Amino acid sequence: MIEHSIVSAAPRPATVPHAARPVVSTVQQWWVLTVRMITPTLRNGELATQIIGSVVFTIGYYLPLKQLMGAVQPLSSYAQYLTPLIVLQAIWFAAISAAFRSATDSVQGINRRFRAMPIASLTPLASRMTASMYRCCVALAVSVACGYVIGFRFHNGIVYAAGFVALALLIGAALAFIGDLIGIATQNPEATAPLMLVPQLTLGLASVGLQPVQNFPDWIQGFVRNQPLSQWVYGLQALAGDSTDKAPEVTWSVLAPGLAWAVGCILVAVALHAMVTRRRRR
Amino acid sequence: MNSSDKAVVVAGIKKSFGEVAALRNVSFEMNRGEVLGLLGPNGAGKTTTVNILSTLITPDSGRALIAGHDVVSDPAGVRRSLMLTGQHVALDDLLTGRENLLMFGRLQGLKKKVAKERAHELLEQFDLVDAGDRAVSTYSGGMKRRIDIACGLVVRPEVVFLDEPTTGLDPRSRQAIWELVTDFKEAGIATLLTTQYLEEADLLSDRIIVIDKGTVIAEGTADQLKERTGGTYCEIVPRQPSALPAMAAALGTMLPATIRATLSESADRISMPAPDGPATLIEALRRISEAGIELLDIALRRPSLDEVFLALTGDNTYGGDEDPTDKFQAVDSYA
Repeated sequence: MIEHSIVSAAPRPATVPHAARPVVSTVQQWWVLTVRMITPTLRNGELATQIIGSVVFTIGYYLPLKQLMGAVQPLSSYAQYLTPLIVLQAIWFAAISAAFRSATDSVQGINRRFRAMPIASLTPLASRMTASMYRCCVALAVSVACGYVIGFRFHNGIVYAAGFVALALLIGAALAFIGDLIGIATQNPEATAPLMLVPQLTLGLASVGLQPVQNFPDWIQGFVRNQPLSQWVYGLQALAGDSTDKAPEVTWSVLAPGLAWAVGCILVAVALHAMVTRRRRR
Repeated sequence: MNSSDKAVVVAGIKKSFGEVAALRNVSFEMNRGEVLGLLGPNGAGKTTTVNILSTLITPDSGRALIAGHDVVSDPAGVRRSLMLTGQHVALDDLLTGRENLLMFGRLQGLKKKVAKERAHELLEQFDLVDAGDRAVSTYSGGMKRRIDIACGLVVRPEVVFLDEPTTGLDPRSRQAIWELVTDFKEAGIATLLTTQYLEEADLLSDRIIVIDKGTVIAEGTADQLKERTGGTYCEIVPRQPSALPAMAAALGTMLPATIRATLSESADRISMPAPDGPATLIEALRRISEAGIELLDIALRRPSLDEVFLALTGDNTYGGDEDPTDKFQAVDSYA
C-alpha cells in the first residue's frame, strides 16, 4: 500500500476555493457546451466518418444505378437527379450521430448533473442542436461537393442555391430534433442507430430520389410520392434546377409539402421532448 | 442569507411515484461544516431525498432549504450553492480530465484563464496531472471518481451531496475521498453523505440518520446507533460444524438462552453479544479450548449496517424492546 494519500500529498487548503462564485452567463454556457460536443468529433473519427459516409453514399448510389435508372429519369443527368437524395441521406446520417450523443449524455448522467447546476434548462438542448447543425453543415458541404464531382450543378442562380442550402438545413434540424428525442427517450446509445437507420433506408429506397414515382408499382405510388423524403427530394430538385426544363418548378405547391413535413417534425419532436423532460422531473 | 444559520433544513418532505410512496415524511437539519451520514438500504429513499434537495425532482409536499434557498421556489439559488456527485460518475467520457475541469469551470462562470488555472490546481490536488490530458474513458474507477468530484470543486459549494461516493473504489481512492470530506468540514461546507457502509459513516459523520421506507427511523451519532443494537459481537467458528452443540455446551451461561434456542442444524458459527469486549472473547476461548474443540476463527466485531438496520427496524416493530431472536437473524444474514 502506498503510504501517502492523494489529497494530503498536495497543499490541502486549496482543495476548496474560498473566492466568491462568479456570475454565470447563459451565452458562455451555450458556447462551452457546444464546443464540448464538437471537439471530440475532430479526433474520435466522427468527422472523418461523416465525410467518408457522404462519399460512400455518392459512389454506392451513383455508380451501380447510373446505367439502370439514369435512362428512366427526366433530368439532363443522373447526377443532377440523384444528388438531392445523397444530400438527404448524408444529413440523416448526421442526425444519427446526434441521437447517439444525446443518448450517451442521458445514460452517462451528465444531463442530470447539468440540471443540478446553475444552467438554464434549455441550454443543453440548444447546444446539442447547435452541434447537430454543425454536423449537418459538414454533411451538406461534403455531399454537394461529391455531387459536383459526378456532375451536379446549381442551375437556378445564387438565391435558389441558398434556398437549397436553407431547405437542407431545415430538414437537418428536423431530423436532428427527432434524433435527439430518440436519444433522450431511449437513453440507450446502441438502440439509436437501428431506430434511425430503418426509416432512413426504407424511406430512401421507396422514394423518388432514386427513380421517378411512375417506375414504382401502382399500389405503392401514393406512399412513394407523399412520404417526407420524396417531398424533400422534389423541393431540393426544384431549387437546384436543371439545364433542361424538366426539373420540378420552384412553386409553393412543390415546396410547401416538404416544408410542412420538416416544420411538422420539429413541432412534434419539440412537444414530445417537453413531455419526456417533464415526466422525468416529476 | 436566510435568518436561520442552517445549511440544510428539510421539513416534512413527501414524495410519491404513482402508487409508491418513496418518501413518507423526512425531516432533518444540517449545520454549516457538519457531515451528516444518510443511511438506509436500497429503496429506502436516499436517492429520492438527494434528488429533491438538488432540485432534480419536486416534492409533493413539505419544505426544503439549501443555504437558505427553497428547492421549489428558488431552484436557481439552490443550484448555485450546491455540489452534487451521484452514484455514477457524470462526466464527458470523450473529453480529457483537463477539458472536463475546464468545461465545468466555464459553465460555473469562470473566465477562461481562471478556469485553466483552477483546472491545473485540481489536477495536482487530485493526483491526476499525468492523466490530465487523456480521455476520461481511459481512466480507472478511482480516477474517474476523483475527477468527477474535482469537477464539482471548480467553484466553492456551500452544501455538498456525496451519493455513495466510495462504492466500488480501491482503498487508496476511498481514503482520498474521506480526507476530502474532512477538508469540506474545515472549510465550513455542509456534507450530506449517503452510503451503505457503516464504517464510512462512522468515520466521517458527525451525525447519522437512518431512513427506511421513506421515513427517518433513527438519528444520532454512530456510537449511539450501535449501542441501540447491542454493541460488540463475538463470532466463533469451529473447525467442524458438527462441534457446534458441544461448543454451545462449553460456553455455558455465556451464551444467552435465546440464542442457544435458535441454533439450527445448518449453522456453522455462533454469534453472541460481547458485553465485556475482549474479556468476553478470552473467556469464551478458554472455555472452548478446555472442552478440546478446535476453532477455525474467533473474532470481535462491531455490528454491520445490516445488523444496526435490522435491529432498528426491529425496535420500531417491537416497540423498543430488544428482541434477541431478531438480533440472531441479523447475525445469520451477515454470515
